Amino acid sequence: MTTPAIKVEGLSFSYGDIEAVKNVSFEVMPGEILGFLGPNGAGKSTTIKVLTGQMSPRSGRAEILGRETGHDDPEIQAQIGVCFEEKNLYLNMSALENLDFYASLFGIKDADSLEVLRRVGLADRAKDRVHSFSKGMRQRMMISRAFINKPTVLFLDEPTDGLDPVTSASIRKTIKEEAERGAAVLLTTHDMFEADELSDRVAFINEGEIVALDTAENLKLKYGTRSVRVRLRDRDGVREEHVPLDENDSSARIAALAASPDLMTIHTEEATLEAIFIELTGRGLE
Amino acid sequence: MSGPVSRPAIVSALLKKEFRAYSRDTIWLLLTLLALVAIPVAFLFLPDSVDESLTLGVAPPVSSLVEDARETLKGMGATDEQLAELDEADFTEEQEGLLLVEFETEEDLQRVVAGELEAWQTGSGELVLRDTEADEDEPEDAEKVSVSIGVAFPPDFIAAVAAGRDDVKVTVYSFADVPQEIQGAIESFVREAGYQLAGQELPVTIPEEEFVMLGEDRAGDQVSLQDKFRPLVIFMVLLMETFSMASLVSTEVLQRTVTAVLVTPARIGDFLFAKTVFGTFMSLGQALIVLLIIGGLTAQNWSLVLTILLMGSIMFTGVALFVGASGKDFMGQLFYTMLFTIPLLTPTFSVLFPGTAAGWVRILPTYPIIDTLYAAMTYGTTWADSARELAYAAFWLVVLYGAGLFTLRRKVASL
Repeated sequence: MTTPAIKVEGLSFSYGDIEAVKNVSFEVMPGEILGFLGPNGAGKSTTIKVLTGQMSPRSGRAEILGRETGHDDPEIQAQIGVCFEEKNLYLNMSALENLDFYASLFGIKDADSLEVLRRVGLADRAKDRVHSFSKGMRQRMMISRAFINKPTVLFLDEPTDGLDPVTSASIRKTIKEEAERGAAVLLTTHDMFEADELSDRVAFINEGEIVALDTAENLKLKYGTRSVRVRLRDRDGVREEHVPLDENDSSARIAALAASPDLMTIHTEEATLEAIFIELTGRGLE
Repeated sequence: MSGPVSRPAIVSALLKKEFRAYSRDTIWLLLTLLALVAIPVAFLFLPDSVDESLTLGVAPPVSSLVEDARETLKGMGATDEQLAELDEADFTEEQEGLLLVEFETEEDLQRVVAGELEAWQTGSGELVLRDTEADEDEPEDAEKVSVSIGVAFPPDFIAAVAAGRDDVKVTVYSFADVPQEIQGAIESFVREAGYQLAGQELPVTIPEEEFVMLGEDRAGDQVSLQDKFRPLVIFMVLLMETFSMASLVSTEVLQRTVTAVLVTPARIGDFLFAKTVFGTFMSLGQALIVLLIIGGLTAQNWSLVLTILLMGSIMFTGVALFVGASGKDFMGQLFYTMLFTIPLLTPTFSVLFPGTAAGWVRILPTYPIIDTLYAAMTYGTTWADSARELAYAAFWLVVLYGAGLFTLRRKVASL
């Protein structure tokens, strides 16, 4: 039986009287991407801080590759890569110097930092100091830094935040490649499209608690409503009708609308993760 | 995937990064250059010896006073024997450190002391006066003499005093910047001269062999301004380096780069150790470079000076860690910098103005550092002489460095 790369059981953490994480449990298997979705202050970052050894859990267990975290364990730290939400790079050092420095902290003697930069499209700026980089370039630097030690477990906090669609797509491709290589990925994001596209499973976290955890497909089936959206010409312009697919007479209604001479377009619609999140928590993701 | 990495390898990587970050910080690089170049250059312009001589203006010339006294005294019935004694008395005989400059008139003396006229003395001893406002040429083959205090005697001074008159008026002219004690000494000198000329003995005698000098007699070898400033300069270099270090720590905290370091195999202990080593050796290294330029290390004092400098460097690194961790932004850092600068700098004034250190100044953490540094460099004090100060410095070192470590550790944990 394969050991989970990340295993969290009944994890809780408080800042004083404020309970940031309440009895959270989940697992991430090697090669799996788990989307960790929730609004600001939901407890995502606190969970990552505990898992990356920055803080110790107040109660419960958190394990990385079968070893308990929170004990400043270099064996675990050597296996993880972290992309923080804040772009904490050494601005006065070049892209290459930044990566070489982190490689040396991992004890990597002949780090191919240039190749890592090439993967995120920064090879041609390798010798430029990071302070001259745009927000998007800095974000790509953050991703490349997380990859420098070829980690077994990746923690990616909003990895495509602030990136243009083309770069975001390229970064998503790189994340998928890492998972295909065998890395377990814990991905936190606000972007439902990104979570949907990348994640093998999705966990919704709200007010420190996991309110749902399953594949995106299962969540949509379980909580979402499928429907057909029909647009018809009308005397006043355009009329839109939504026909839920799970009702008894839905087939007949769709057939009737499809036969209408006023029909303009007809589309199937499935529930979005955001809609499901709102349904489950009563609040949005922002 | 990476393999196991040793602690020394991590610390070495952190130190390399510190050096790189430091060398790229333009402001602090400029300050370092200032510390290494400008401060020693400015130091070399300070006087390296103390002028212990006093130039005293006298009007009218002593020879004129004596000549005038001879005629009057003769008229008063003085014997030839007594007049011969007056002839033999040499009033211009140069006392140790006292130079007499003779003026023809009281007005000349007054104007020279006031700075309206310049006094120049030729090689033959002739006095030439130059009006500073008349744009006159400087006299050739003459040396300018600075006279800031002088005594104007009445022409019949000797005779009048000898005759026992009690209305003899002597005026002491003094420029405003002449220390009070010099003014007092000249007044006493005139009074004593009057007593002696009147044939009266002073009620108190201080025979030279009974004068007891406590401490090292530095007559003719006073502590020069360079000697006084040497520990101060070293201290300033340490202080300047402290704030460079504080800036590096603060940047690391505010930009949260430390968080990224601590999710690698590097531990908080490695981070703090690297900061301490870097801060200490940057301060110590620069202080040593400056010390080699301005002098101060001798075969006798080197081990004591190096030890106290090392203690100072660690103490200041502790301050840097505290300041760097406490300031939430630039203004915050500036606030904490000022908060530490003033009390840490205060003891240096006790070196510039010996004997002025108040009780509370001696309690300050940097007092034992500056005091031992000054004593070792200036008076060649030994380890045994400095044991108490070293112990006190060690106490403050532990307190300040401990506070720095504790604050930074807590700050990093809260990020």
